[in-house]
Amino acid sequence: MATQRDNFCGSTDHSLSRRGFLGTLAAGSAAFAADMGGLNVLRSPVLAAELKKQSKRVILLWLAGASSQLETWDPKPGTSTGGPFRSIPTNVPGINISELMPKMARRMDRTAIIRSLNTKNGDHGGAARLMMRGRMGDPSLNYPDMGAVIAKELGRGQSPVPDYVSFYAPTEGRDFAPGASGFLGSRFSPIELTTNLVPENIRRPESITELDHTERAELRELLTRRFERGRASTALSSHNEAYQRVKGLMASDTLFDVTKEPQKVRDAYGPTQFGEQALVARRLVEAGVPFVRVARAWWDSHGQNFETHQELVPELDHVMSTLLDDLEQRGLLENTLVVTLAEFGRTPQINASLGRDHFASAWSATLSGCGVKGGTVFGKTDEKGQKVIDGEIGAAELFATIYQAVGINHEKDYMVGSRPVPLTETGTEPVRAVLA
Amino acid sequence: MGSIPLVWFVGLVAWSGSPAVGELLPAERAIETVVDHYVDAGLVAAGTHPAPETEDASMVRRLTLDLLGRIPTASEVRAFTESTDPEKRPKLVDRLIGSVGFARHQADTLDAMLMSGFRSSLREYLVSSCRDNRPWDTVFRELMAATESGPGQKGVSEFLKARGKDPDKLTTDVSSIFFGVNVSCAKCHDHPLVDDWKQDHYYGMKSFLERTYVVGNFVGEHGYGRTKFKTTDGEEKKARFLFLTGREVEVGGAEEPSGDDKKAEKQKIDEAKKKNEAPPSPEVSARARLVETALEPANRDFFARAIVNRFWHRFYGQGLVMPLDQMHSENPPSHPELLQWLARDLIEHGYDLRRLTRGLVLSHAYARESRAESENPDPRLFGVAAPRPLTPLQLSLSMSVATASPETFADPDDQAKVENLANSSRGLASAIARPGEDYQIGAAEALFMSNGTKLNELLGDGDDRLVGRIAKQRDHRAQVELAVRNVLSRSPDPDEIALLGEFLAHREDRPVEAARQLVWALLASGEFRFNH
Repeated sequence: MATQRDNFCGSTDHSLSRRGFLGTLAAGSAAFAADMGGLNVLRSPVLAAELKKQSKRVILLWLAGASSQLETWDPKPGTSTGGPFRSIPTNVPGINISELMPKMARRMDRTAIIRSLNTKNGDHGGAARLMMRGRMGDPSLNYPDMGAVIAKELGRGQSPVPDYVSFYAPTEGRDFAPGASGFLGSRFSPIELTTNLVPENIRRPESITELDHTERAELRELLTRRFERGRASTALSSHNEAYQRVKGLMASDTLFDVTKEPQKVRDAYGPTQFGEQALVARRLVEAGVPFVRVARAWWDSHGQNFETHQELVPELDHVMSTLLDDLEQRGLLENTLVVTLAEFGRTPQINASLGRDHFASAWSATLSGCGVKGGTVFGKTDEKGQKVIDGEIGAAELFATIYQAVGINHEKDYMVGSRPVPLTETGTEPVRAVLA
Repeated sequence: MGSIPLVWFVGLVAWSGSPAVGELLPAERAIETVVDHYVDAGLVAAGTHPAPETEDASMVRRLTLDLLGRIPTASEVRAFTESTDPEKRPKLVDRLIGSVGFARHQADTLDAMLMSGFRSSLREYLVSSCRDNRPWDTVFRELMAATESGPGQKGVSEFLKARGKDPDKLTTDVSSIFFGVNVSCAKCHDHPLVDDWKQDHYYGMKSFLERTYVVGNFVGEHGYGRTKFKTTDGEEKKARFLFLTGREVEVGGAEEPSGDDKKAEKQKIDEAKKKNEAPPSPEVSARARLVETALEPANRDFFARAIVNRFWHRFYGQGLVMPLDQMHSENPPSHPELLQWLARDLIEHGYDLRRLTRGLVLSHAYARESRAESENPDPRLFGVAAPRPLTPLQLSLSMSVATASPETFADPDDQAKVENLANSSRGLASAIARPGEDYQIGAAEALFMSNGTKLNELLGDGDDRLVGRIAKQRDHRAQVELAVRNVLSRSPDPDEIALLGEFLAHREDRPVEAARQLVWALLASGEFRFNH
């Protein structure tokens, strides 16, 4: 009988699995625990250090609706376009930012500001896709977004954790640029969270015991391995890989649970949705998730721009600075790039409703942490912020800079069928001035 | 955009759509024998032995999935495997093609091809056109006319409506879907070695389509308008009405109407909109001119070859040309004569898609095993059948069929029950990602299968469910046989009876749960997930 068992799937590799589902509860749990190494790695200081050294990650703070550069990173106080807020000095001499960001002002040395984006697209949908993909749409090419590219480049093949997680709770702009893995395939699709802090289908239903759930999966795998013999295709192997990730993803359930954090840490981030999601993002990157997007919306201030920004910018200031502090204290900042980005900026011209409209010709984004020379400003807008007068760049250059910062060659080609598609358009140069 | 992709368009200069090939096999040969003739010749030339013919149970599963979009029921499998009729395979194919499920599945397949990426659907129109077996050129003409008022035309305007506000998307999609040529690369680049004609082609195709507009529930078309574009040198150019073969067409309406005429037109459009009527049609329709031109004998190879290649891809897992929208001379087909012969046959037989389908699934090449003896068989030789992931609709309907009590389908002539399931399982399908050309299954699907609640109903243990029936069987062997026959459409082999029986024996304290877990493991297996 034992011989027959070993022959069942033609390989002794699965004897452990077989023992799992035919064995005792203890044996099943042992097999389960063995697979959890990827998560347990954090409990081993040596391994954790190694992981930190090797794996780079990105957190994207996505300001949906489009924040104003004038009330954040590129203030123009005392001009006709400047609005009511002052600018304040930062801990880097010569760099001033809006007074609405006093906490970031004290941490300016970790962040590089790019003040010279001219991205030419002022439509929410088109611009959101442009700033998530780094290029304009091409009807023939279903291009992956930044998250999917980074998941592919920085994720580990057999990773037990998700490799692209996207929090998008607010409805504003959610449909404009949903996480898109494009031609990279659904292997790199994000786990998207819109209503809950915890992903869909990640928890075992109560109707089945943990042991049965595990053993049923083992039986599935045995049957599939047997079927796969002599058959080869990428689709077939992706099917098994998808199921192999289930256990790890389910175990990463706790990563999404903010109650596992000490109260002190939760208090630091604050009780807001944005704060909690940023905290989960930190938990995720700490466990090796290469890309997390946290969207904060309602920036589209066509009316009452200053009230809106008076409310939203201090929250951004608080969450972003807490996140940077937390990452630094854990030794994660040197390998984690934090990108703060919107689909475009807002007009210097203040409209009749005291609002600012869509403006893609001269706006700002920031990069902090991994691979970035903190305390730098790149590019310059004119006196009233109406156009870029120095260092103009578009989305492609920003993306090349992001890729370079985390060690990805931005000139790399993906093959789409027989067609080579470069990560950023040919001839794109990263902004070397902000790279460490 | 990079300059490299341009190389592909070099071949378009004065290219008729067909590479030079030797003399073709006679037109009167049966499609399936021509397929085998050319595929076998390729295998011989490569010194490769093809895989043997697949077993009966696998054959009926493959055909039923391909033609009806679902797995066969256990009784359908039994009827086929037990038949000793030497003609049972062609008879089965004819029966399947004649059944109501064929039109449904054909419509779903064409809908996925025509409406990929859109929320709207052409299903209402396609079900009607597939029931009538309307020829493919007729379908093309009707989609481009988008006149909903005629018989069998309801829903036909969805194709243009979905794209009417984006002429570039419309141009790209029409060229890719109907002609197998993605012209969008010629939109903005230039190649140092090639003249401007590439942009002329893109904007030539766009000229036919840019007059299209959407108003309310209707698709309209202006009788005027010249597409303009900028060359890479920055020169402003007016596009010519140019088909892919280089054929230039006079369409008229070159002059912009006066402001007053435009105002009058706008008024008429607004009035029609208020009355919920179609806007006035132009004297000369540029879209109609595109259809006429594309179907002219000198130009129609693009149209015929594109659909042949897409159907080949559908049934053989790999196009004769890959990618499907890169049919040009720099990217030759794996079997040029075969593609040419099939395109000629399609044209000579009135673009009859049923005839094409029937021929493609009756070949020996279609019937091979999907398990290869060699390590890495070249998929372009078609010496072994390709495992193909089921589409979301195939998968959800198949899960519904597999998990119903076998009694449900006791009468193989009663198709109504299965067709009801086809409707009720559409919701489940929406939870599964659509496969593309290079499909990969994502973790979301595995999580959905492992923990989602949507399968609960299918895995219910009532008497009308497979799980309930399994739990009532007298012994483990009977339980395993029932489960494997209904889910995997074949008999279990002795190893499986032993192993799965053991799995059940280990759970004798919870027989219903055991049956549920067994059925789940079979449903989530690779064998079920693929057509093989």
